[in-house]
Amino acid sequence: MIIQIPVISLVFFLLMALIVPLFKRRNFAVTTTLGLIVLLIVWVLTVVLVRDVYLNGPFTYAFGNHESFIGLELLVNLFSAGFALFMLSLIIIIYVYSTSDATEGIAEKEYGRYYILLFILLFAMFGILYTNDLFNTYVFMEILSITTVSIISIKRKKENYTASFRYVMLNEVGSLSYLFGVALLFMVTGHTNIDLVAASIQSSFDDYTANIVTALGFMLTGIGIKAAIFPFHIWLPDAHSTAPTSSSAILSGLVVKLYILIMIKMLFRLFGFDIVSAMNIHIVLMMIGAFGMIMGSVFAIGQTDVKRMLGYSSIAQVGYIVLGISLGTVLGLQAAFFHVLSHGLMKAALFLSVGAVIYHKGVRKVKDFNGMASEMPVVMTVFGLAALGMIGIPLTSGFISKLNLGLASLDANQGYLIIIIIVSGLLNALYYLPILIAAFLKSNKPGDLGLKVEPIPRLMMVPIVVLGLLIVYFGLFPNMILSWFEEIAVVLL
Amino acid sequence: MNDIIIKTVVRLIIPFVQIYGIYIILHGHISPGGGFAGGALIGTSLVLYTLVFGIEKSKEKFSERVSEFAESGGIILYIAIGLIGLFVSGSFLTNIDSGFPVGHPGTVISGGMIPLLMIGIGIKVASTIITLFHALIEEEEA
Amino acid sequence: MSFLQTIIDHINYIGAVAIFVIGLHTVVTHSNLIKRIMGINIMGMAIFMFFVAIGSVTGGKPPIIDGDGGPYINPLPSVLILTGIVVVVSITVYSLSLVIRIYETYGTIDQNELLKRMQEEDES
Repeated sequence: MIIQIPVISLVFFLLMALIVPLFKRRNFAVTTTLGLIVLLIVWVLTVVLVRDVYLNGPFTYAFGNHESFIGLELLVNLFSAGFALFMLSLIIIIYVYSTSDATEGIAEKEYGRYYILLFILLFAMFGILYTNDLFNTYVFMEILSITTVSIISIKRKKENYTASFRYVMLNEVGSLSYLFGVALLFMVTGHTNIDLVAASIQSSFDDYTANIVTALGFMLTGIGIKAAIFPFHIWLPDAHSTAPTSSSAILSGLVVKLYILIMIKMLFRLFGFDIVSAMNIHIVLMMIGAFGMIMGSVFAIGQTDVKRMLGYSSIAQVGYIVLGISLGTVLGLQAAFFHVLSHGLMKAALFLSVGAVIYHKGVRKVKDFNGMASEMPVVMTVFGLAALGMIGIPLTSGFISKLNLGLASLDANQGYLIIIIIVSGLLNALYYLPILIAAFLKSNKPGDLGLKVEPIPRLMMVPIVVLGLLIVYFGLFPNMILSWFEEIAVVLL
Repeated sequence: MNDIIIKTVVRLIIPFVQIYGIYIILHGHISPGGGFAGGALIGTSLVLYTLVFGIEKSKEKFSERVSEFAESGGIILYIAIGLIGLFVSGSFLTNIDSGFPVGHPGTVISGGMIPLLMIGIGIKVASTIITLFHALIEEEEA
Repeated sequence: MSFLQTIIDHINYIGAVAIFVIGLHTVVTHSNLIKRIMGINIMGMAIFMFFVAIGSVTGGKPPIIDGDGGPYINPLPSVLILTGIVVVVSITVYSLSLVIRIYETYGTIDQNELLKRMQEEDES
């Protein structure tokens, strides 16, 4: 029965998305409770799946019992199941938050639609993680980008329309480039199944070098656009800052990471790192990552809107992950994976706490944060923890990922990268610390130190606190998760 | 459009277009076509109706509630058939192994579950096309 | 002559790539939003042509088994393309509805004009 779990979770998400419209005339709490139940069921199933994969090793699941060269296949290994578990856990936290703060800027009759989109988004995310087929990945990518852009434009505001239009255009160019790469590979190999294509590429690389290298270029560019890797990032800040708060957290923390995971799958499983490094693509990636780390932070410094600033900061953080991947070693991949996790947590915490500030005070400019800590102590503490994590202060998970990244670059004889990591950390400090100083040290009303917990709904407070605790937990005890990531990385290389 | 010629001609054409659409949906596994093409034909016939008779009359024939049910229903039919395969022979969308009738190659009852899936897809595509068209028209009028 | 022969033999691939580039050019350089959507469509169609060209077999018949056998064309690319067409149609509809909204709010569908009006609104 365990091998059915991926399909069953996909079916659960799809059915939940279809059921929501039927509850349109009921009390809205019914829908959210039902959604939470579905999420928890799938979470439990995924935990069982991860445990099974950990003990018994990976397996494939063929739709309709077809052979793998005809039919679709799902591949369940520690990589796909583990990241599915991580993403689902983070989404449950954000979901609990969103039940009381979905209201921000969404018209009342659109609530149901928001949850429909959320569940289709989950469906696409799980599909991308589990699928073992290039064309299937393309289809799920398109489902993902349509739902993402609908979530962005669900707020009927002017800037949302232009932001989502730009998002659609660039993402569509990205996915069509990816599709072109798939077509070129199909031309050489006659398959779309990743394992078969990979085997075929290894044996026919010398005969069809031009095709395979062109395909690699197209696919990398396409996924680079969708993952907002540095020179292709221009759509991200607008899109992520105008979306509703809880979905900003999902978009920045998870959706962008998903494309990075596709990229990892492509570079290491499809083409193999030998071909990638023979074409010197890892050096290009390294430079792009390093530039992104610096430039994302430089752009972020000038921003006055906090959510926009967080968007630019995401570009810099994607740079870290790309840098880790480009090293092509187990340590580098391990650091990249850990940064996927810790950045997901930190960015979600940042967006949710800013969302709580917007909910309570209705302000989102940097200059309005003066003395915020005395009014909203818990939220601002979590914000501070996450911001310190972004800078890389010890005791937070951000420190562990930077430390690992530094060690990995030393291990790969690329010691000068440490300078870039440190400079980028300092640049992060330049735009996060002013907010913290303003919030904790400046005060609008001197003498008012009566600390009291802010009056925001408890269902919003709990997720924020949980995220803060997780950031500290992974900063203090990273070893278990690091050894897991090491296993995943060893399999990929 | 109040031209009597157009109205009469459209009234005459629509049943034939729809029957042709149903034919294409049901013969998807033995000839070119299938759920998507046939569903698009049915959807287009409804679009034609809307163009000629206006959106109010079209909404009477094919209301929002009906289209909601048709859209969800199409997918639910597909998933349900897939789940039969999962429960009977252990893999989602298993066709012949889970006992769907095979029949003689080249006749309508062959191909196991595929015609059933095509019906689901056809419903979904037809209702999606007409819903999208209505949404775009209403956007313009609002 | 052999160069010309190569071009003639691969004209379907070259044509598809040329159309792809035309579409990309339209998306990137034109400021009219509708034209950019058209560009996306052109790019998509180029890839679909490319896919179908890969699957074709010289002298092949449509893959419908009617008893007399013979070389069939590869049906898999055509099936994949059907999915691709659906995706591009939905993207087109979505972006067209966005353009309608943009026109309602700003009264223009020209990118440059749009940026100008947005800046004016920011200042006021």
